[in-house]
Amino acid sequence: MRQPLSRELSNLLERGRDRQLRLAVTGLSQAGKTAFLTSLVNQLRHAGVEARLDLLPAAREGRLLGAQRLNQPDLGVPRFPYDPGMAALRDTPPRWPEPTRGISELRLQLRYRPARSGWLTPEIAHLTLDLFDYPGEWLLDLPLLQHDFYSWSKAQALYAGEQRRGLFSDWLAAVEQLDPASEADEAQLATLAEEYAQGLRRAKQAGFSDLQPGRFLLPGELEGAPVLQFFPLPQLNSSHHATSKEALDALPANSLYATLAARFRYYQQQVVKPFYRDHFRRFDRQIVLVDVLGALNAGPERFEDLSRALRQLMHSFDYGKRSLLTRLFAPKIDRLAIAATKADHVTPDQHGNVVQLLEALLAEPLKDLRFANVPVKALSLASIRATEAREVTHEGKRSPALRGTTLEGEEVLVYPGDVPARLPTADFWQQQGFDFPGFRPMQANSEALDHIRMDAAIDWLLGDKLT
Amino acid sequence: MTTPQPRRHFTLDDTPEAAVDAEAPLRQREAFAGTSEHHPLAPLAEEKALPAASLGAPRKRRWGLLFALAGGAALGTAELVTGIPDALAQSHWLEMAWQLFGISLIGLGAFSLLKELGRLRRLKRHDKLRGNLAELPLRSPKQARAMAEQLRRQLKLADDDPHWLAFQRASQPHHSGEEIQTLLRYHLLAPRDREAQRLITRMSGETAIMVAISPLTLVDMALVAWRSLAMVDRLCRLYGLELGYASRLRLFRNVLHNMAFAGTSELAADASMDMLSLDLAGRLSARAGQGLATGLLSARLGLRAQRLCRPVPFTADEQPKIADLRQDLWRQIKQLDKDKVPQNR
Repeated sequence: MRQPLSRELSNLLERGRDRQLRLAVTGLSQAGKTAFLTSLVNQLRHAGVEARLDLLPAAREGRLLGAQRLNQPDLGVPRFPYDPGMAALRDTPPRWPEPTRGISELRLQLRYRPARSGWLTPEIAHLTLDLFDYPGEWLLDLPLLQHDFYSWSKAQALYAGEQRRGLFSDWLAAVEQLDPASEADEAQLATLAEEYAQGLRRAKQAGFSDLQPGRFLLPGELEGAPVLQFFPLPQLNSSHHATSKEALDALPANSLYATLAARFRYYQQQVVKPFYRDHFRRFDRQIVLVDVLGALNAGPERFEDLSRALRQLMHSFDYGKRSLLTRLFAPKIDRLAIAATKADHVTPDQHGNVVQLLEALLAEPLKDLRFANVPVKALSLASIRATEAREVTHEGKRSPALRGTTLEGEEVLVYPGDVPARLPTADFWQQQGFDFPGFRPMQANSEALDHIRMDAAIDWLLGDKLT
Repeated sequence: MTTPQPRRHFTLDDTPEAAVDAEAPLRQREAFAGTSEHHPLAPLAEEKALPAASLGAPRKRRWGLLFALAGGAALGTAELVTGIPDALAQSHWLEMAWQLFGISLIGLGAFSLLKELGRLRRLKRHDKLRGNLAELPLRSPKQARAMAEQLRRQLKLADDDPHWLAFQRASQPHHSGEEIQTLLRYHLLAPRDREAQRLITRMSGETAIMVAISPLTLVDMALVAWRSLAMVDRLCRLYGLELGYASRLRLFRNVLHNMAFAGTSELAADASMDMLSLDLAGRLSARAGQGLATGLLSARLGLRAQRLCRPVPFTADEQPKIADLRQDLWRQIKQLDKDKVPQNR
């Protein structure tokens, strides 16, 4: 989607003056992107009045005057459904906002008083913040750009884990019979692709994360198009199949392998690349939301799966220092936050462990980021707090606990268990004491949403621009 | 430096001395049973205390002085007490009055000594709290909250003090030690820092003016010493530290020690600006130059004292700098000069 020249120009100007930021909220599906964005908009709108943003210096000192929604630059993209989200949270009983099914944008203008008055600083300054929401399922298409069909087939974790393999067993049995060199049968391809998509959907239901390609789960406008009729060939990965890449590439255009590879290429070029180009290249700041606790709750296989998906994902972004030139023409992410979401599902004394576990989970990408000299902060947060931290006296001992209402509407008081500070070992999984129910949001008693450490996240992502 | 040695002659069959200790035997390989007791390789406690971490010069106890004082007081009391019955029997009233007077004098002395010791203890406690608060990021939320309460008591804030209430409103049960430290800095300490800043500016400015207009050098020196002591005293009270004689002395010594050894690098950085302003002031008049110099010294002393008294150490960017104060001082001196001119005419 090309933008008109004048708008490009004004964007460039704003960027040059460093008064415009594009924030990437990255997270796989169910990581809490929509909740984060809803809460972010809510906190900034109510900053200085009801919102408690004590860890954000600009708000603490009363310099942040609030935020307003502006007309977004790109009229072709739907607006981020902030009002429906808030309506759901305000409902009786409160509900979580609907999961995202398409892309949407929002532009906020923040007004603040600069901390130091100088010759050039105005009395009241503003900062434009561009936010962008999209289905987390599509995010996993980005790592796909680095592959061709051959390497992609090899990289798929089709045989990883018993449970995961179980979900794909029918499709695996059918697809292993195929010979890459044989002539492609259109109808057979369509059924197999559909079976593969169903397998992905089942895996998604079962809580797995590393699912490619993302459009198979949420096709959007591509429903039923032949571009979605391809699948990886697991036999390329098996050792007894010794066909080299060159031999496969030399197969005729109507062979099974060549057909699948062509469709893969098309998907890459026509579906993933435009998405990446239009929405993902131009970011200044990024927050990566990870549902560590959910994965911990779900068991070893899904945890491993999440870790693999995140490792692949972090390679898809540009990180590095911003100079004037890069600020104008090729924005790079110069500050990154990684956040373990749903921190309200564990007691406050476990937050330190959650952060350590998150850092352990992302150890490999963090090393690369450090090498690129990008400042990273890890934190635990809850965009919308659903529980209250309490202390109970049980059998003469005082212990922390959480009080909240489960999704089924039952009020409970639980201690969800200790979170390991390192990557859990086999022992932990065997005698796992960690288990928490899903909570529904608390009944609101003020305009601003309760949160955990949203202020710290905002400070890290925007704080340096609000001085 | 080694002292130069005179020329010496050796005979050839003398054994060289250096060879003796070079021949230390190498240690044999030694295997330990897996069950034998061992612990992680950690530095010893005395190695851990870095020279920069301990304040002031190494302490030495004056046991001799303590012995003389305690012995004198005990023997004197015994002597005076045993004398009373005699004096009573012989009706030497004046002698008895003297004896009673002596006893009460010793009692008073002991009492004030105890009070001094108590205040010294409080200074020590303050130091300990300072250490604890500096380590706040490593503490659990619960411990951090307890320490915040301790700080409130140290600063002598009431339960309904607006600053304390603001802190309590801001702090949430999920805040970590580091976040609580940030909030403490902002809600409890920042107002006091501003107050301290004002105090230092005002007092050093006044000192500068006093020196600039005082006619006698001896009076100058006394004035500066007296006012500096008063300033350190007030700064300490601002941060909830009440000083006795001994604790004041110790703190003052720490401040001076700190200024002499720790602050020299900063001094070098500030020196050029100081020189420039002194040069400018010197053009106005010699006395103004002297005044500004004294004022700067006094301000530097105040900043050092503030840094040592503040319960939570300053971070690098919130630390007040002499440059912030210099301008104020300069303005005050100039003001003085302007005022002086019309009077002369």
